[in-house]
Amino acid sequence: MADATDPGLGAAPAPAPRFSLWNRAVGLARLSPTAAAGLLIILFFGVLALAAVWIMPHDPVSSYTDRILQPPSAEHWFGTDGNGMDVFSRVIYGAKFGFGIAIPAVILSLVIGIPVGLIAGYRGGYLDEVLMRFFDGLRVFPSIILALAVVAATGQSLLNVILVLGFLDSPVFARVVRAEVLALRSSNFVESAVAAGNPTWRILFVHLLPNAIQGAMAQTAVRAAWAVRISATLAFLGVGIQAPTPEWGAMIRQGAEFMITGQWWVALFPGLALIFLVFGLNLFGDGLQDVMDPRRRAAK
Amino acid sequence: MSFTRFLVRRTFMVIPLLLGVVFITFMLIRVGGLDPVGQLAGPTATQAEFDMIREDLGLDKPLWQQFLIYTGNVLQGDLGESWLSNRPVLDDMLERAVISLELLFWGVGIGALVGIPVGLRAAFRPNGRFDQVTRVLSLLGFSIPTYWLGLVMIFVFFYLLGWAPPAIGRISLMIFPPETITGSYLIDGLLTAEWEAAWSAATHLILPVVCLAIVSAAPIIKQTRAIALEVLSSETVRYARACGLPKRMVRKLVFRNSAVPVLTFVGTEVTGLVGTMSLIEYVFAWGGLGQYGLNAIVRGDFTAVQGYVLALALFSVLVFLVVDIVVHLIEPRSELT
Repeated sequence: MADATDPGLGAAPAPAPRFSLWNRAVGLARLSPTAAAGLLIILFFGVLALAAVWIMPHDPVSSYTDRILQPPSAEHWFGTDGNGMDVFSRVIYGAKFGFGIAIPAVILSLVIGIPVGLIAGYRGGYLDEVLMRFFDGLRVFPSIILALAVVAATGQSLLNVILVLGFLDSPVFARVVRAEVLALRSSNFVESAVAAGNPTWRILFVHLLPNAIQGAMAQTAVRAAWAVRISATLAFLGVGIQAPTPEWGAMIRQGAEFMITGQWWVALFPGLALIFLVFGLNLFGDGLQDVMDPRRRAAK
Repeated sequence: MSFTRFLVRRTFMVIPLLLGVVFITFMLIRVGGLDPVGQLAGPTATQAEFDMIREDLGLDKPLWQQFLIYTGNVLQGDLGESWLSNRPVLDDMLERAVISLELLFWGVGIGALVGIPVGLRAAFRPNGRFDQVTRVLSLLGFSIPTYWLGLVMIFVFFYLLGWAPPAIGRISLMIFPPETITGSYLIDGLLTAEWEAAWSAATHLILPVVCLAIVSAAPIIKQTRAIALEVLSSETVRYARACGLPKRMVRKLVFRNSAVPVLTFVGTEVTGLVGTMSLIEYVFAWGGLGQYGLNAIVRGDFTAVQGYVLALALFSVLVFLVVDIVVHLIEPRSELT
């Protein structure tokens, strides 16, 4: 925690580079075992997503027309779906969609939310008021419904899902950053930076940003969990991502009709994968917030 | 500040928010490149027909005029006509509102009845075994996709065990629904002494309600725990403890002081759960407002989508208003922000 008490110096000096990653992992496991467990789950899915081509025993979208709706077997670990596609391979491939949507969506939220929060908090006044009222207005709509409606209205493509999720979630980060900036605005280091004649953009992005960003970063994992969940929900409803795509939500959609006829494996396994990844992200995010937010740490 | 003054001021604060809500709903279908005219006209329409419909819908006017007209229509209760049902969207929605509210009431009610005591208990012994188990369980509850949970429940309780009725609608197809009094088959059945109908309605309610209760309990547990922890470390409680108040009294004090923030949280949660609930309705073919809205979204019935989104937003505004009023009644000190 190089933080608000010694501002202006930037981050603490980096520890010995060779072992830093390992040290940090051990440190995290000690600080918060649940966060470490969450990180392990995320890494597990990360490996699945990156190495999917080598792990998948079958092509996720080629159908074996002679093996439709077969229960799990040695050949098809998770069975086959209504098109005769291998569910196991499809579940593994689905990890690509989880990360492929969540990571760009969260980055987009950060890229929009952080500057908005910085400017609104620093400038204050009319602009701040209007922005915050607008965000309040957005909060009145349930996020799932808003995301669904906007994706349905603006066009159904994977790219659009990412853009809409990133945009809709940016107020979360804007709020956090704004609150931090409000607290820092009249502190000595900002005032001296102004007195030294720094341009506003420099005060915002060089002086305030490093001190105000921590709360936002603590939110990223939880927001990624949200993005994974919502994108799967959209696909489950057939909005944005369409059925034969090996995306978990779309696969659950395919399996929904078979649940009442007893072919449970089509919907069960993608659902389990989805829960597991979202759970990992939430565990990690929850621990991250505990570690990074001094108030939450004190409350424990 | 007297109660009436509070009421008037708080109610007036809703107006700018409502304007913003109407604006966002208005923009919702206009930000997209989709053209409702093409939908209405069909593939064989001529250019003249296109222009006629466009004029009919007022889409040829400048945007600000359209917004004023839309706001005027909304104020008069005219939300346009659904393209799917060929009926006024408002009528469609009013018919279904009670059906959804019934589900929401039971689901959130049970979720809160379970979640609040569990959260309190977890907070009284932080990092104890109970706390750690509930913490992981509630995070799990956060992570389960509602619709998947519903599907798994249907598989287990309908297909495997045969306990639950088929997940279609709110009452068995073989039973006449009771006379409409409140719109809830369960309550109407009980009121009119149609026991068979009431029983059938109750069995149909169980799975979706449990599903919603699980999803709503998870955040309630987490938040109640956090709130109670904060109260426990407050000066009031520390002083009470230092004075040697018995544990039972301290708990009462914590409960009393947590009530307002917990209530506020449940209020905000209800507004978000309306979205989650629509998925449960979708899976269980519930036929309520949520299913109607999702159907409209999936099928591209944009007038209905607009009406649905507006209705949800109004519902949230109303819930926030009611919560604020109740909070003020419990704790007259609370000021308007």
